[in-house]
Amino acid sequence: MKRNNCQGLPSRMPDNTAFQQQQLPACRPSLTARAVLPGFFATGVSFLGMGILLILSAKSVKEIEITYTDLCSNCSKLRENASNFYKECTCSIPFFIPEKMPGNVYMYYKLHNFYQNYRRYIISRNNRQLLGEDNTDVENCAPFQRASNDRPIAPCGAIANSMFNDTILLSYYPNSSTGINVPLLSSEITWWTDKHVKFQNPKSSNLSSAFAGTAKPPYWRKPVYQLDQENPENNGFLNNDFIVWMRVAALPTFKKLYRRIHRIQQFADGLPAGNYSLDISYNFPVTVFKGEKGVVLSTATWSGGKNFFLGVAYTATGAMTWLAAFSLMAVHLKLKKKKASFQC
Amino acid sequence: MGTDGGARRKETAAREEGDQGQEEPRRHRQQQRHRRRRESKTRTVRSNLLPPPGGGEPDVATKGAPHRWWWSQGGSQYLADNRLKTTKYTVLSFLPKNLFEQFHRLANVYFVLIALFNFVPVLNAFQPELALAPVLFILAVTAIKDLWEDYSRHRSDHEINHLDCLVYCRDEKKFVNRYWKEVRVGDFVQLRCNEIIPADILLLSSSDPDGLCHIETANLDGETNLKQRQVVREFLELDAEFNPLKFTSIIECEKPNNDLSRFRGNIIHENGKKAALYKENLLLRGCTIRNTEEVTGIVIYAGHETKALLNNSGPRYKRSKLERQMNMDVLWCVLILIVMCLFSAVGHGLWVRQYGERKKPLFDVPQSDGSDLSPVLAAVYLFLTMIIVLQVLIPISLYVSIEIVKICQVFFIHQDKELYDEETDSKLQCRALNITEDLGQIQYIFSDKTGTLTENKMIFRRCTVSGIEYSHDANARRIAMYQEADSEEDEAAPKGGTLSQRGSIGSHQSVKVVHRTQSTKSHRRTGSRAEAKRASILSKHTAFSSPMEKDITPDPKLFEKVNECARCLEIMRNQEKSLSHLTPELADIFDFFIALTICNTVVVTAPNQPRHKVRVRFELKSPVKTIEDFIRRFTPSRLTSGSNSGSSSSLSTSKSTHKTGSSFLSTLSTESTLLKLEAGLTRSSPKMNTNGYGVQPGGGWATENGLKEGELRYEAESPDEAALVYAARAYNCSLVGRLPDQVSVELPYLGRLTFELLHTLGFDSIRKRMSVVIRHPLTDEINVYTKGADSVMMDLLLPCSSDDSRGKHQKKIQSKTQNYLNFYAADGLRTLCIAKKVLSKEEYACWLQSHLEAESSLENRDELLFQSAIRLETNLHLLGATGIEDRLQDGVPETIANLRQAGLQIWVLTGDKQETAVNIAYACKLLDHDEEIITLNAESQETCAALLEQCLYYVESKFSDSEVKKSLGKVNVGVASLHPPSPSAATCPNLGLVIDGKTLAYALDKTLEDKFLSLARRCRSVLCCRSTPLQKSMVVKLVRNKLKAMTLAIGDGANDVSMIQVADVGVGISGQEGMQAVMASDFAVPRFRQLEKLLLVHGHWCYSRLANMVLYFFYKNAMFVALLFWYQFYCGFSASSMIDQWFLIFFNLLFSSLPQLITGVLDKDVPAEILVTVPQLYKSGQNTEEYQPYMFWMNMIDATYQSLVCFFIPYFAYHDSDVDIFSWGTVITTIALFTIILHLGIETKTWTWLHWTACSFSILIFFIVALVYNASCSTCFPPSNPYWTMQRLMGDPMFYLTTIISSVVALLPRFLYRTFQGTLFPTQLQLGRQLARWGPKEFSVHKDTISQQHPVGEQGLESTASKGSDTSGPHPQDHSPLASQSGHQPASVTESRSGHRTANVNAQSLKNTVMDSLRGHSPVPQRPEGAVQEGPPGDSEGESSTREVSPLSSILDLPDFSLLNWISSTPLFNGFGRAFRFSQSSLQTDVLGSTFFSIGSQLDQDLKGLKRETSDCFQEKVKGTAAVCHNSENLETTFL
Repeated sequence: MKRNNCQGLPSRMPDNTAFQQQQLPACRPSLTARAVLPGFFATGVSFLGMGILLILSAKSVKEIEITYTDLCSNCSKLRENASNFYKECTCSIPFFIPEKMPGNVYMYYKLHNFYQNYRRYIISRNNRQLLGEDNTDVENCAPFQRASNDRPIAPCGAIANSMFNDTILLSYYPNSSTGINVPLLSSEITWWTDKHVKFQNPKSSNLSSAFAGTAKPPYWRKPVYQLDQENPENNGFLNNDFIVWMRVAALPTFKKLYRRIHRIQQFADGLPAGNYSLDISYNFPVTVFKGEKGVVLSTATWSGGKNFFLGVAYTATGAMTWLAAFSLMAVHLKLKKKKASFQC
Repeated sequence: MGTDGGARRKETAAREEGDQGQEEPRRHRQQQRHRRRRESKTRTVRSNLLPPPGGGEPDVATKGAPHRWWWSQGGSQYLADNRLKTTKYTVLSFLPKNLFEQFHRLANVYFVLIALFNFVPVLNAFQPELALAPVLFILAVTAIKDLWEDYSRHRSDHEINHLDCLVYCRDEKKFVNRYWKEVRVGDFVQLRCNEIIPADILLLSSSDPDGLCHIETANLDGETNLKQRQVVREFLELDAEFNPLKFTSIIECEKPNNDLSRFRGNIIHENGKKAALYKENLLLRGCTIRNTEEVTGIVIYAGHETKALLNNSGPRYKRSKLERQMNMDVLWCVLILIVMCLFSAVGHGLWVRQYGERKKPLFDVPQSDGSDLSPVLAAVYLFLTMIIVLQVLIPISLYVSIEIVKICQVFFIHQDKELYDEETDSKLQCRALNITEDLGQIQYIFSDKTGTLTENKMIFRRCTVSGIEYSHDANARRIAMYQEADSEEDEAAPKGGTLSQRGSIGSHQSVKVVHRTQSTKSHRRTGSRAEAKRASILSKHTAFSSPMEKDITPDPKLFEKVNECARCLEIMRNQEKSLSHLTPELADIFDFFIALTICNTVVVTAPNQPRHKVRVRFELKSPVKTIEDFIRRFTPSRLTSGSNSGSSSSLSTSKSTHKTGSSFLSTLSTESTLLKLEAGLTRSSPKMNTNGYGVQPGGGWATENGLKEGELRYEAESPDEAALVYAARAYNCSLVGRLPDQVSVELPYLGRLTFELLHTLGFDSIRKRMSVVIRHPLTDEINVYTKGADSVMMDLLLPCSSDDSRGKHQKKIQSKTQNYLNFYAADGLRTLCIAKKVLSKEEYACWLQSHLEAESSLENRDELLFQSAIRLETNLHLLGATGIEDRLQDGVPETIANLRQAGLQIWVLTGDKQETAVNIAYACKLLDHDEEIITLNAESQETCAALLEQCLYYVESKFSDSEVKKSLGKVNVGVASLHPPSPSAATCPNLGLVIDGKTLAYALDKTLEDKFLSLARRCRSVLCCRSTPLQKSMVVKLVRNKLKAMTLAIGDGANDVSMIQVADVGVGISGQEGMQAVMASDFAVPRFRQLEKLLLVHGHWCYSRLANMVLYFFYKNAMFVALLFWYQFYCGFSASSMIDQWFLIFFNLLFSSLPQLITGVLDKDVPAEILVTVPQLYKSGQNTEEYQPYMFWMNMIDATYQSLVCFFIPYFAYHDSDVDIFSWGTVITTIALFTIILHLGIETKTWTWLHWTACSFSILIFFIVALVYNASCSTCFPPSNPYWTMQRLMGDPMFYLTTIISSVVALLPRFLYRTFQGTLFPTQLQLGRQLARWGPKEFSVHKDTISQQHPVGEQGLESTASKGSDTSGPHPQDHSPLASQSGHQPASVTESRSGHRTANVNAQSLKNTVMDSLRGHSPVPQRPEGAVQEGPPGDSEGESSTREVSPLSSILDLPDFSLLNWISSTPLFNGFGRAFRFSQSSLQTDVLGSTFFSIGSQLDQDLKGLKRETSDCFQEKVKGTAAVCHNSENLETTFL
């Protein structure tokens, strides 16, 4: 046979290593009351603290929400009928800000019941087209790939087609008669990477020639290169509103950043308290799907918007942990007593 | 061809048979098909060298054309050739066939189908290529594994097929070397000594003058003794050498079948003469030729048609129990999945419908052609899409992970040092990769006996002659030395230089060498048993002759007496005095040794290679012998009365031999024989006399082959015969030659004596004895020497009158001998009684007449022969008795006891004789002496049925009895156990069942099997003797199928193969007898005792690891999938997922797989040492406690909860924000990953650095992958296109805050549950874990203190304790020697306990409670009722004498008591503990008895109080202080 039986260590003897003998040094945590008590108390404390912190910070956020579907009911009705597509409809909504909104103030539009996460909706887009590589690349964009004249739609797909196209203006009324337009910025409302990496206009001398040979999405009034004719940086695929819209919302009720307040003049410290009004050019139909839309003005903190949930959740969990800790302690003490009784 | 080659061949041949098993069923089926087609029942074989019957080509045979073999009827039919093929695939067929087989696994079909769904455009949820990747990966892994396995099978086949053997070649007119695979039916094969038989061969010629051939059938039936096979009679008488060319006969025989013990056929010679063939003529494939130089035969069956291969019932596809259960749950998962999908589909339909036909919202995208889907169609599509999206619920990686985990588990089992055996340099082999966890769930163990429990080495231990015991202390020491030397060697090895120790061994050894008179020195260089054993393995062909068995150190006293006796005899012979001058004692001693030497069937061989039989024929052709000769010459091969007849222990049944003989004897006229006999007898006496004397000095003995004294080897059919002969040789009374008609013995001073052998009445299991009738050369008397079981022998003794002194003396001797016999038996020795009878010539003549009549009668010859034997064996004169030890393997009793404690039921199935088996069963504590034993021996179906009925009734009545008691005990424990355990209680359901093979055959009949089973399962132990391999497997199958129990079969020989294959888990013992059992087994261990670690530790671990992993898998997938499901409520049930498809597909495969694999491979719920010391923990596996159906649902509920948390916390946290879908999805993925890994953390019981690494690695890899993937491409992977998502999230505090809170909230309930449960109601396993927390070191220290304080703590308690045990214990006092021993044991335990108590009471009390509740099964508060209920099953497995105790002690919750229980449960203290518990029991009983009457509803509180009280009291008592608290009088009386 291969091996020599008589001499040396037997070759088949397994190695005596801790790993092979399954004797690796190990810690064996045992989940007994005593062992976990400190952890429970510590968790409780830190969670309570965090919860309070979060609640406080959420409380500091000032937020105003104006749902204007019903307030502009005439426009809503008008939009229900597709034949009124090109009819203008504007709507002005006065509102009052009771407290000053300090710091950066953001303006969002909010849609209720709009299923941007609907599966066939999500997949109906083409990232390569949006990158400006090839206008004719309309793969995956069904059914909004090509217009009736067989031109490729730019931007193609259902998401682009259904872009939110209300325009919202904010006016401030320091006194009852005269209104000042609140300066709104549309820059930097997108992710930096979206604006600079994911969305690019096709390379060409000017935009209209770049999009020559393409059709506008059927629900759009203007072709893509006319989205913002004043600012070429904000036109075409690079239009901020467009980019924001293309980032699909997670839930059927969502808000999207629309503008931020330009902090100049009397708005340098945010929005002062007082009377304001929204001037809305109402284009986006929502009543068809029993939806609603609104405008949200909000400040921001490190922990996001005015959402108390996390704070409450932390506080509640912290409290629960303490409760559990106390009951564990009770159990532990009882058992200890019992054990002690054996010893005497 | 040297020994080495032979050994290798044997191994390969053995391997072949094991492997062939796998191919077998198919072959078998094929064969059955053939059989149906053909009508003929016989096969005809003719020589290959002849032209085929139809003429045609003259010489096809040598050309090797395959179609040389023809069926005589039915035209051309290809016979199986000798090629072995066990592979499944060929190069071409691998891919399709393997894929086909893989698709038998439903899961694979499912996954492929799902992957293919992705290619349907309407449904495509993922990128189809991406979806296919995991499936392909998994298929590929499995395929590679299969390929590798098949290749190794092919290699082993190839090796066997290419073994050489000699086949006659027509062209060359001589035998030439051929491969095994080229051997065909009809070929002539020549075999040499120690060669393995390549096919089933009809023996036509042998180099043995008597036409015999010895074979060893170890590979077939596990019996290592030699069997004789006989040349076909006509060829025996051939004068010239056998010439295959002249063989013209035609052989008609049975179709290939699997009956090893039967072969029927005829040989038709050319002249039309027909002669019968028997199984004695057939050499079976796989056996080894021994002792015979050269044999030639014709191949009858080849290849897969050989009996050896047909006898291997093929293996089932083994799927572990856990896996079966898991598959059930997989089906549940499928159901859940379908429900989820249906729900979504309906939801989607409704959702679509709510918008109506007209008002299509912007986001409801029409189809590509612009048309809208109807809600119903949308729902249908969605259903399919949902299946794709939620497919993860059926864990695709589950199967792969399980395979990986099992492979790793197998690796670790392989690597275990404790499963390595140094002696044979073999370690455990796992041959089945997929049933490791079954090891943790075994309920029944079926064990072979010989070679499995025992070492199959018979060692002469002690004897008693004419009432005087010769204890052979030196011999006992010698045997002990083998073990010591061994263990010391073990110790010495790591230390490196304990030379002094070794030296001392050496010197001891040399002393003994002097003692030994005749020994083979080759094996004795060192005292190491390992060495000796290795040597004995090398020289395997000498059956039963390891030095341990051969070198018996004689008892000096007896040795002296033997010498004296011989001296006297010599003087007397010289003086021509009658032998009666010898003192009776010396005469007895002389006769005793003569009987040991000749009353057997041992064959003497010389050790030369090839081994010749020693032929020292003393030509004694005097007319005296006419009758004997006459008979002998007309009997084929001295089968009727010859000395070498196949004994009952061989494969042959004595029936057939007798038949062979009888056909011839019947032709004789009885009268003439008798007449001649009488004449012969009268004339013979004077001549013999002179012969006997005259021969001695002249040295008329011829020795062949330059035979030297001391180099003789004895080959016996049963090892104890050899042991006795070796024993006699140690006293210089050595057997030097045996021929059919004479036995020669070498004696000191007297030289060689030759005994004329008149008759051998072989052993049978009914008479339980064997006898030889000889003519004594010194006295010329006709002597009968009988040896047999004491149970029968004692009744056959000459009744001695108590009148004269001689009679009295004899009576005294008898009673003394009986005492010693009982003592031997109690010691686990195999006892034999030796007796003698002197026949007068008249008596002999008279008996011979009737005997010959019996032999020649046609009807019920067996019966008559039996009667005849009984007539002879009466009025015997007792000479003495011997005690032989069939050495148990190390640690067998302890292992059995431990396995029993673990709740395993152990059955022993053996081919051995009933007596032997029972003996061994006692020795290894399988049966207990105070156990009632039901023996089932039935001769017919009816009697068997009646017997079973009766026993069942009996047992049931007993059972109901005890049942009543039990129920009584439940109500009022005190009453039931108030009376000290009475003898009636001792016999409760404490039953052992012994059944023999014949009865087993009846009992296994369809009509009786239920009864048999219901009887057997009530017995604590079952012992099946004389069972055939097939019966063994039937028993296993019966238990497996009817009781739905997990079975494990363990065996070492080929006779265990089918049983091993049938059982859920088959274990082979490697290194003893061939490799066949190993090859058929799932696991092979070197020693039986390693089964303990294999089952209790590895089995438990594997089970618990895998069970936990599977449960975790289900949880994990359910939890992950549920996240997606909840999202459907917020996306219009549109099957969109917020989780990126990459994450979705690789979450299981990549991110969360490693930690669970590590845990599945490395987690140890309880450390090994605890598992071994507390075998009860094994029950968790038997009861499938770790994986119960409800646990699946609990996990599902937990998964639902956790997913709700993990979904809704981010939902609300990001509610009303501008989060986009994939950012939000990534948050959820992260949360899910953390939760899942932390969940595993909670479930992991042992954390090594590997666990830490795996968990951190998983999290790390998730982030790395996410970051890289999210940065890699801005346009790829539509629709998610998650560019920069993760990067952005990681800059947002919300992300971390949400992740932390979600994970914590999700895991809090489980964590709390585990904590509360672990604190309040810890399971057995958790307690075991806590026990381990004291650490192995302290643990062993703890044990050490106990043992060390043994001598220290003497406080005068000896007497009290031992008294206590005596008065209270139901200890059997029938064996006086034992009883006195046991008297000491309790005392020593008390010492240790008292010493220990003072040292440890306070420190250990916590531990005590832990131990206590460990033993008592149920958590503390529920103890009283629970423990009582639990008790009885527990104690039926424990020691019988402690039956009353264990439940009580667990009720009492006395720390010290329980500690003692604990101590005694450790193997170390087994014996002590048992004895001690008696006193304990009495104490507790009484205490309880006095207080329990008044206990009503307040049982609990009272008990607690009582506990404390009693413990205090006991404590003080133990310390020897004044007995302050007397709970009752009983206590006092028993204790003081």
